[in-house]
Amino acid sequence: MIRFEQVGFQYKGAPTFALRDISLTIKPGEFVGIIGSSGAGKTSLTRCINGVIPHHFPGNFYGAVTVDGMDTVVCGLDALSRKVGSVFQDIDGQMVASLVEDELLFGLENFAVPREEIPQRISAALEALGIAGLRQRAIASLSGGQKQKVAIAAILALRPDILVLDEPTGELDPASSRAIFSLLRTLNETYGMTIVVVEQKIMLLCEYVQRLLVMDAGSIRFDGPVRQVVAHSGELEALGVHCPRVVTLCGLLQACGLYQGPPAITVEQAQAMVKEALA
Amino acid sequence: MKGFLEYVPGDTPLHRLNPLTKLLLSLLICASCFVSGYHLFSVGIIILNLLMAASAGILRRAAVMLASLAKLSLVLFLIQVLCVRQGTPLLTLPLGLIITDRGVSFSLLIVLRLIAATLPLALMLSVTQLSDLSGALVDRVGVPYLYAFALTTAIRFIPVFAGEMSGIMEAQTARGVEFDSHNPFKKIRLILPLCVPLLISSVQRIEGSALSAQLRGFNLRRRHSGYKRYPFRITDLASLLAGAALIALAACI
Repeated sequence: MIRFEQVGFQYKGAPTFALRDISLTIKPGEFVGIIGSSGAGKTSLTRCINGVIPHHFPGNFYGAVTVDGMDTVVCGLDALSRKVGSVFQDIDGQMVASLVEDELLFGLENFAVPREEIPQRISAALEALGIAGLRQRAIASLSGGQKQKVAIAAILALRPDILVLDEPTGELDPASSRAIFSLLRTLNETYGMTIVVVEQKIMLLCEYVQRLLVMDAGSIRFDGPVRQVVAHSGELEALGVHCPRVVTLCGLLQACGLYQGPPAITVEQAQAMVKEALA
Repeated sequence: MKGFLEYVPGDTPLHRLNPLTKLLLSLLICASCFVSGYHLFSVGIIILNLLMAASAGILRRAAVMLASLAKLSLVLFLIQVLCVRQGTPLLTLPLGLIITDRGVSFSLLIVLRLIAATLPLALMLSVTQLSDLSGALVDRVGVPYLYAFALTTAIRFIPVFAGEMSGIMEAQTARGVEFDSHNPFKKIRLILPLCVPLLISSVQRIEGSALSAQLRGFNLRRRHSGYKRYPFRITDLASLLAGAALIALAACI
């Protein structure tokens, strides 16, 4: 379980707080999406989960973050890294090896995964991302999207309990973005992995995550099931979060008194909604 | 020089050597150039390097490296030849400068040694994966992983930063900066201010990489937790004996 208790954080030298009074509980096995405009504090929130704040980024840290009962201030990054797998926004900076296979080996060797288990873990992670063919390729020769998949595969191979991803589809095309989210859903549903993902593509979040956090100026403005959160489409627009068009359509039908049900967040749900309104 | 020091995949005998053997062999070849004071020996070492590069399928890269080193050597030769005043004057130049036979001989030897000693290390890095080099240093020599990783990461970043510099230069060229100028002094004057953005982006990248490594258990690594093993084979022994023989030959002639 991940628990934030009145967490505030100000980066050293920054004039304002990046996080303000965050109280939050993420239960094991939850699939949580975080959205918000630039500078809202999304990345800082994920950095608190993997311990990068306050261990790597110095500053004023208030409150407490616990991950599986471990206080992230007391525990070092090494202890937290056994629990939390992290995929950063800057994919190039994340790479530590020259070859794809070595990139995956790096973490497995560090965590002393038994030798006989390593080949299977590497193959499974590469196949899950659909990049088995890149195993012997030099990382420098890959495209941005391929590197992103390698970065995710390197973390997947470690099989962490909690997976934190900061804009994992930033360099991917729509089809690959959906494939990544489908994989995250499989990991969440099949293995009970807790997943926290920062993402700007709200349609993906609407379709895949169970719970949505909307951040603004370092605070959580909305937190709840996706349908419940996107029902505040007007306020979300004001925060710079553009809701999917199906949500806008739903709002219009509701305003005209043609539909009273829960907001549609996928195309399939919108289809059913329109049918109901026409009936 | 694009791709300089980057690993070239392959399955040649040179690729298959133990990484430590490759490192030692390249050091022995380098050392032999300095043991011998004979010009033709250094020329022979350069030819040997090219033959080894050809056997590893990287002759083209070696030729590019050789051409680049030759350009640098020409400048060094000119500076050196004007600095040595001992020997029989061959040519008298204005401003009291003279070129002597000893100056020519000594300067030629220096540049030949420079080329002959640089090529083996660069070729060794072209046929060795850096992870294998660090793995072998940890596994076979007992070098602490921290230092082996730092060494290989520093080498890995050389082509990365070179690529980044070329990216910055391309962006500046697109904005009208004349990097295609043939005047070397003008080029240096244009490049110097770019060192700051390169330094900043390099530090950012190194920091990101260090953080990523730490979040993947870097500090938990132990000597024997490496997956790959690096045994020494008969070919490794033969290669090292050949390197030792080269040193002996250099000492004899």
